[in-house]
Amino acid sequence: MATLELVNITKKFGDFTAVENINLRVEEGEFVTLLGPSGCGKSTILNMIAGLEEVTSGEIYINGKQVNRLSPFERDVAMVFQNYALYPHMTVEENIGFSLQLRKRPKNEIQAKVRKVAAMLELERFQHRLPRELSGGQQQRVAIGRAVIREPSIFLFDEPFSNLDAALRIKTRGEIKELHQRLGVTSVFVTHDQEEALSLSDRIAVLRMGQLEQYGSPEEIYSKPATKYVARFIGTPQMDMFAGEFVNDGGLYYQVGSAKVAVSDTLQAPGVSVDIGVRAEFVTLGAKGFDATVRLVQPVGPFTYVTVAWDDGSVTARVNGVSRLKPKENIKVEINPKELLFFDRATEKRLNP
Amino acid sequence: MPRYLTRFFIRFGLATFTLLSLGPVIWSVVTSLLPLSALTSRPPDLNPLNITLENYSLVLDSSRGLFSGLINSFIIATFTSAVGLVVGSMAAYALARLNLPGSNKLLLMILATQMFPGIVIAIPLFLVMSRTHLVDTHFGLIAVYLSFILPIVIWILKGFFESVPMELERAAAVDGASPIQTFRYIVLPISLPPLFATGVFAFIEAWNEFFFAIILTRINVKTASIAIAEFSGQYQTLYGQMLASAVLASVPVVALAIIFRRFILEGFVEGAIKA
Repeated sequence: MATLELVNITKKFGDFTAVENINLRVEEGEFVTLLGPSGCGKSTILNMIAGLEEVTSGEIYINGKQVNRLSPFERDVAMVFQNYALYPHMTVEENIGFSLQLRKRPKNEIQAKVRKVAAMLELERFQHRLPRELSGGQQQRVAIGRAVIREPSIFLFDEPFSNLDAALRIKTRGEIKELHQRLGVTSVFVTHDQEEALSLSDRIAVLRMGQLEQYGSPEEIYSKPATKYVARFIGTPQMDMFAGEFVNDGGLYYQVGSAKVAVSDTLQAPGVSVDIGVRAEFVTLGAKGFDATVRLVQPVGPFTYVTVAWDDGSVTARVNGVSRLKPKENIKVEINPKELLFFDRATEKRLNP
Repeated sequence: MPRYLTRFFIRFGLATFTLLSLGPVIWSVVTSLLPLSALTSRPPDLNPLNITLENYSLVLDSSRGLFSGLINSFIIATFTSAVGLVVGSMAAYALARLNLPGSNKLLLMILATQMFPGIVIAIPLFLVMSRTHLVDTHFGLIAVYLSFILPIVIWILKGFFESVPMELERAAAVDGASPIQTFRYIVLPISLPPLFATGVFAFIEAWNEFFFAIILTRINVKTASIAIAEFSGQYQTLYGQMLASAVLASVPVVALAIIFRRFILEGFVEGAIKA
């Protein structure tokens, strides 16, 4: 187990800056996810932590020790690759035991350890198979086994689920979380899937074009996004944003076209132009609020997402269970003023505390 | 064009090609099995009752030079392909993966050595070899063959090594393997089929080579191809014996080619990477 600290990490490929001035601290035993769209630099950061890619400037500390110049092995990190990178000519047993074999451990010790890891990952029956004789999920578990057997101080995961189908992905996600709870090894996980990040992480680092947008717990990232970018990137369905303005009409309102939303009484209109954002669960459809027309009804099982529109905007509401609403029906929309998020239109940063 | 016509033309083309390539081979085998008298009569007497192994027993007589020629060819081709593979695979891996400065220029230079026809370097090469007393030695011929086989080996294998997924090597690095260990335990084993194919190619090249062999050998290191050519003399050509020798000399090459085909068809990186 170890702490990991990135200090002013920058990576340039020629003129292109892939990662800019990242500062990040991962505490002992913490599970941290680097989240962002493809090309945001998250995999590059992971490769730099692993020692597979050199940093252009900045320092990486593992357990307080600077490791910039150390090889991946000397850093004592283990990595699970996106495409698993199993050695195709070795059996499951040999794949998992390869690192021990390189360290010239005695044969019976390797065998015992491999057996233990294989049992933990439910791979005992496949020990003598080649990777190509395994299913995707089994290959994935071999890749994890290869990392686990090392008993490393840090686990690195590079989008390990992206090649699995949806059902298997959720199952494996649970397995990784359990594994982390059991072993408690500091982990850094890279993904572009916000749901994965929210469900696995102690803390999430949201990245955008090589820069850190926000670093915080899943709750913070979800309910107190630091920027518009984070707000839109996290959550399903995507947060609705409005570019309207404040009006004083016997109380403070925010107006978007013909829709007027009451804003929390205690709030003063700030001196800058403001966009507001609201999540579907804080939008209520019924008898109160402003007028709108149902445009789209999307049942997803436990909820139905109902998108309503008015002359100059639209918003999606989360309705429990199955909604009986039909498109083109008229309805009133109410938005919980306490849950509105305010963003400075110019800087895109969040304003309310 | 209707499909059956397309198929007809493709098959017709393939059949023609097969006949054209197999014709000389069949003719060689037939000729080698007939006595000289049957071949020189007009028209040639192809009566199967005349079939005899006389030509074979004659050429295998040790005094005729074919047997020692086969041994020389075997020594030279084996060493050429073995050294070519060992040196060539390491060079190719380094050029494919180590990001050495100037490696592209180096590759072009390696290729450039192949752009001179053999005849251009024949005389200077002979002078060099004779001054270094390498004429008519196994070592001399092996060195010369390596000079043109290595570049080909390097180019072929570099292309293959580049196609080996980078993640495999990264995974090995994370597992604690040094670059040499990565090459030894990961890259080399999964590269066996192309290595074998390239090795067979190098062997065949060296085995069949005639031009440099005739310039650089006299008595001791005569290769099989030279021994075969010597059946064609100033006053007569012993066709039956010459082609019997040729058939015998083809056996190892054909055998290699058959094994090599099986290897090439094997999928080798399947299962490494989930695409």
